[in-house]
Amino acid sequence: MKIDNSLPLEYSTEENNLKILGFWIFLGAEIMLFATLFTMYFTLENRIGHGPSGAEIFEITPVLVETILLLTSSFVIGLGIHAMRLGNKKAMMVFFSITLLLGAGFLGFEIFEFVHYNHVGATLQTSAFTAALLTTLGTHGLHVTFGLFWGLAILIQIKKRGLTPETTNKSFIFSLYWHFLDVIWIFIFSFIYLKGMM
Amino acid sequence: MDFFDRFAVPHPSFLIYASMVGIGLTMVAIVLGITYFKKWGYLWREWITTVDHKRIGIMYLLVALLMLFRGGVDAIMMRYQLSMPDNKFLESQHYNEVFTTHGVVMILFMAMPFITFFFNYLIPLQIGARDVAFPRLNALSFWLFFMGMGLFNISFIVGGSPDAGWTSYFPLANNEFSPSVGTNYYMIAIQIAGMGTLISGINFITTILKMRAPGMKLMKMPMFTWSAFIANVIVVFAFPVLTVLLAMGTMDRLFGTNFFTTGDGGMDMLWANLFWVWGHPEVYILILPAFGLYSEIISTFARRNLYGYKSMVASMVVISVFSFLVWTHHFFTMGQGAFTNSIFSITTMAIAIPTGVKIFNWLFTLWKGKIVFTTPMLYSMLFIPLFTLGGVTGVMLAMSAADYQYHNTMFLVAHFHNVIIPGVVYAMIAGLTFYWPKMFGFMLNERIGKWTAWIMSVGFVLAFIPMYITGLDGQARRMYTYSESTGFSMLNMVAFIGAGIMAISFALLVYNIYYSIRYASRDIGSDPWDARSLEWATHTPVPEYNFAITPQVASTQGFWDAKKNGHELFKGKYEKIHMPNNSGWPFILGCIFFVFGFAMVFSIWPLAIVTLIGILVCLVYRSFEKDHGRYISVEEIEETEAKLRGVKNEDR
Amino acid sequence: MKELFPVKQVMGFVFSLVLTVVALLVYFTDMSFPIGMTILLVTAFIQAGLQLVVFMHAGETDDKKSIYTNVYYGLIIALVTIFGTLLILVWDM
Repeated sequence: MKIDNSLPLEYSTEENNLKILGFWIFLGAEIMLFATLFTMYFTLENRIGHGPSGAEIFEITPVLVETILLLTSSFVIGLGIHAMRLGNKKAMMVFFSITLLLGAGFLGFEIFEFVHYNHVGATLQTSAFTAALLTTLGTHGLHVTFGLFWGLAILIQIKKRGLTPETTNKSFIFSLYWHFLDVIWIFIFSFIYLKGMM
Repeated sequence: MDFFDRFAVPHPSFLIYASMVGIGLTMVAIVLGITYFKKWGYLWREWITTVDHKRIGIMYLLVALLMLFRGGVDAIMMRYQLSMPDNKFLESQHYNEVFTTHGVVMILFMAMPFITFFFNYLIPLQIGARDVAFPRLNALSFWLFFMGMGLFNISFIVGGSPDAGWTSYFPLANNEFSPSVGTNYYMIAIQIAGMGTLISGINFITTILKMRAPGMKLMKMPMFTWSAFIANVIVVFAFPVLTVLLAMGTMDRLFGTNFFTTGDGGMDMLWANLFWVWGHPEVYILILPAFGLYSEIISTFARRNLYGYKSMVASMVVISVFSFLVWTHHFFTMGQGAFTNSIFSITTMAIAIPTGVKIFNWLFTLWKGKIVFTTPMLYSMLFIPLFTLGGVTGVMLAMSAADYQYHNTMFLVAHFHNVIIPGVVYAMIAGLTFYWPKMFGFMLNERIGKWTAWIMSVGFVLAFIPMYITGLDGQARRMYTYSESTGFSMLNMVAFIGAGIMAISFALLVYNIYYSIRYASRDIGSDPWDARSLEWATHTPVPEYNFAITPQVASTQGFWDAKKNGHELFKGKYEKIHMPNNSGWPFILGCIFFVFGFAMVFSIWPLAIVTLIGILVCLVYRSFEKDHGRYISVEEIEETEAKLRGVKNEDR
Repeated sequence: MKELFPVKQVMGFVFSLVLTVVALLVYFTDMSFPIGMTILLVTAFIQAGLQLVVFMHAGETDDKKSIYTNVYYGLIIALVTIFGTLLILVWDM
């Protein structure tokens, strides 16, 4: 395998470059996936049937905490990639671990939020609005959950195999995924919660 | 007993039982045959675990041909049912199932794998690459697609076929009006196959962007590769819509949500809307690669460079964007205002412009060309007038006010068959005939091939032109019968005869394959058509590494330059070649997806959870797997090359 | 320790927090719907752009053009789908 040492490790082989570009294209598909969910949500948001409306069930505190957690985790994984490029394995692993912990915290709050919705009578079956809301949030939440397992698998590999072209490539791609989830959350935060509570 | 009752077909008929027995016997025969000839190992090593783009392509081809047969039988059954007024051949329920599966099978499980076969086989060869960007993902794409196809097809013997039309509009498709599991099959099988398609879309885009031979700038790619690139861009941005849509439909049916219900705020029209947000681009996913194939064939047999290369590319880029801007024309009558309808009328008519540009480019390519009338060329020449007819009726349908008259009549059915059959199906058969010698080392018989093309076209005209007339007279689509007094019977009989003639032409195609396997010459070299682009520059049969030395090109017609203008394609010496290892992992993951899909269809939750965990375990295993591929040594390359050169007795 | 916290990324983070606070004004103050939506649209898209450029290193390789084309194409199709659907099913129904 040809390794080009003038580039960061994650770009150092042909295969790595292919994977990074391929993942960007996958993110293009993800943009459309979430766009469809937003389309569905905006169409159905005022169709509440006999159930509650968004303004009645949204609460600012958990939403704000989730936002801060996810924004911070996105920043921290950026630091992790920076440390990785410096070749500092230990710092990188610390940053990645913090990222995953923040992600887990986010997920915890989201589960709490879902329980709350269930409590106030906004279940998946209540109305078109609740189904749209919970599906959109749930898809994002599932992505985060998947990301936690994925990140964990990468951490283990870095610990066992060190910073190689493969592991750094995986880490970089994972960081793209994680930042992307943050971008999606910003749109959820702005156009589902804040717009709903405005 | 309740548990097992669900697996029974809800509306059995003699035909369904007969096909059950037929399918069962065929399966047993295949298994016995493979065991008797001791081919299991061969099958596993050479095909099931393969990551070679050429073999994966051929597997797509086999699926496509099988599904062409199945969809074709559905079509004949429908045409026979409608050939006479008050016909008792199919009852209403069975007719609903037949037109639903005909649509799904023909679009998603025949046309899609057929174009994916061309993507797989041709893209790496045309750009001078060794394989696609992610060979193992490519295998996974195929197996996901295959398992989705399998799941959809077992529906008619286990639990009942979907019966809400290939568009599966709600509220018809909800639990109340479609109580059998058929529509669950629709939601879940297409979901699994769609994932495969999305993954292969990403794969091909990356391949085309990053793996082109030195010198092949984007604007020097062969036209088929361009069309494949654009089609895959559409795949990547359109298929996620389908993913979400099918997930919502699944939730409505299995978990009682209210997306598309008529109470509790649900909105059934949202289904139609999102379906066509995906569905319209899907049409262009099918037609663009067909255009690409025609471009290759027409420029080869007019012995000229393609006229207007840049405008061809530009028109495809425009089509790729516009394909996302026209979806409302599928439901002008749904109730949105005249303002919206006008916007989408205009965008729809506008999309005819880039398509027209392409038609004229082909005509100008032919102009002053030294035309050679081979079978692929004959299909292309039949395509131009027939497809234009379909395109023009499309513009008629695009006028939203007039569409109130045409909507959901046979006129529409005639229109879309008129674009899909001469547009896509002819291209597939022309392309298959054109590339057959590249794949299998012998040509299909030209005489039989030309007869096939003419008979198919006569059958096509007889089958579909009458539908324009009955449609304008008011015959609705998807109605299983009509009365004598409507006066539709004569024209429907003509349509049935046309369908029968088309069936004969497909039988002739199969006979041609059989005949050519037996009698065709094997001594045809690697360039029997005197063709122009890189795929013909390598040996036939193509070695697993495609090109021993990476070709260097300077124009859109690299191979033609090499033949006529002394361009040197292969510079340098042999070097060892890095190749990916075979893997059973994609097949196993596909199988787990199949069981998962089955469990979801029948709401067997424990099984669904177990298989879901199985899928995750597979992914984790893959993440930890170390596989750096293998190398083909220089000696091995020399040996293979010498052998292949010996086969064709010439030195290039 | 200092080299682990590059200025660009720290500034990016601070800026994204500021944008979040600005967006929150929509909730904590009383403003009309059009003004609120404008603020949300502006802050959300700047945030997204920030992530893309500062954190995701979208422009660092030769594939810059492909990556940006991919994102813009996705964005355009996404907006067309969202607003087209709203036009059909809500505003003009």
